[in-house]
Amino acid sequence: MAEVTEMFSAPLTFNWTLSYRCNFVCEHCYSRDEECPELAIQDIKRVVDILVEQQVPFINFGGGEPLIRKDLYEVAEYASKRGLNVSMNTNGWLLDEVAAQRLKDVGFKSVGISIDSSEASVHDAFRNMPGSYEKAVRGLDALRKVGLKSTMSSVISRINYQAFRELLDLAREHGVNQVYLHNFKCSGRGLKNREELDLTPAEWQAFYLEALAVKHQTDDLTISFDDPVIASLPEYQEKTMVKGSSCGKLSLHLRPNGDITPCGFIPVVVGNILKEDFEKIWFDSPVLKAMRAKEATGKCAGCSAFDDCQGGCTARAFATTGDFNQPDPHCWK
Amino acid sequence: MNNPLRSPDIVWRVEKRRQAEVLKALEAGEDVDDSGTVILLQSGMMHQLNLVGGLIWQQCDGQQTLAAIAAELAREFSVEQEEVESDVDEFVTDLKERGWLING
Ligand code: SF4
Ligand code: SF4
Repeated sequence: MAEVTEMFSAPLTFNWTLSYRCNFVCEHCYSRDEECPELAIQDIKRVVDILVEQQVPFINFGGGEPLIRKDLYEVAEYASKRGLNVSMNTNGWLLDEVAAQRLKDVGFKSVGISIDSSEASVHDAFRNMPGSYEKAVRGLDALRKVGLKSTMSSVISRINYQAFRELLDLAREHGVNQVYLHNFKCSGRGLKNREELDLTPAEWQAFYLEALAVKHQTDDLTISFDDPVIASLPEYQEKTMVKGSSCGKLSLHLRPNGDITPCGFIPVVVGNILKEDFEKIWFDSPVLKAMRAKEATGKCAGCSAFDDCQGGCTARAFATTGDFNQPDPHCWK
Repeated sequence: MNNPLRSPDIVWRVEKRRQAEVLKALEAGEDVDDSGTVILLQSGMMHQLNLVGGLIWQQCDGQQTLAAIAAELAREFSVEQEEVESDVDEFVTDLKERGWLING
């Protein structure tokens, strides 16, 4: 396979945290303990200009809670008028019909809502926020009503791994046709609460086998996984654009102050988009280079799946061992 | 109107560095038919177009007739328009069948 930078002169997606502020304190969140100065609107627009110039086609706002920044609409409108495909992930608390209509009007292509359980009490307890389930579901309905594409995101953990089918049904009931079953990241609060929330490697394997079987039988919903370790299963047949983690290859993450990290879960800054030449960062950053050319270490050395799996999720390996090249702690081999 | 138009469902970009390299290789007399210079993204899948395909694609804005596209391509490669007309035709027909181009 050609080197990533030979294929791509820039990432396809920037996951953009405009603010780490949030109205929730979720059990798994990676960003509750983060603090970071935020850019003023003029500087945010300069960042958009750079992304346009670099031909980055997609931006996805995450957080923190994107709707907390009152000027999100202005930012999104500016970006979509300049040709970027704009989406975001929200907890849905502030997403009523008026907000949904505004998001549509300023050019959002889709909006993802995080729902972790189809049982209101479980979701609310996980999110430490009574009433959050109801508001999240109301958010999905508001999006459907105004005709803006919705997606649903669920972080798989002990609280929901046996009930993922119910999550899919919930999506169906509310007009969602794409569901992301995210892998548990163990950074930030996720790392602190890991013992309670994370599955064992054997449970991950069983979960993915089951979820893949369901995916293959499902045609009314797109079920997506973002866990590179899944590629070690022969049952996984998806053709992906790159092998292993997509961070640093297809996507990068922007912090509120313009610092770039490979992904939201890897707290290593590779440069600042407003202060440094982006191409230099993309083509020359030693950290990005190391992530793109991982060395099979420990049990990955000699593993026949390494070509496809590339040691799994780099963020998890890094969070637990401090080394990109170590095997993903979720690996069941 | 039958002028070819890029489907709004497709996100695409010219990979400028690669295009520059392919142009260099072409000048050196190498075969560049299999080298992609434009990437197309459609529901999570990526496709690539080679230099000629990419140049045609970039002109498919719904405003240009097939003849105009062929004329521009001929000018790029310093050949007669008739020499490229059937290539343009074939390419556009193929991409219309795939739904990547529509009638503008
Ligand atoms: S040993 Fe390494 S390469 Fe093999 S499946 Fe596990 S993480 Fe992937
Ligand atoms: S490192 Fe892991 S968490 Fe980060 S984008 Fe890659 S797969 Fe996802």
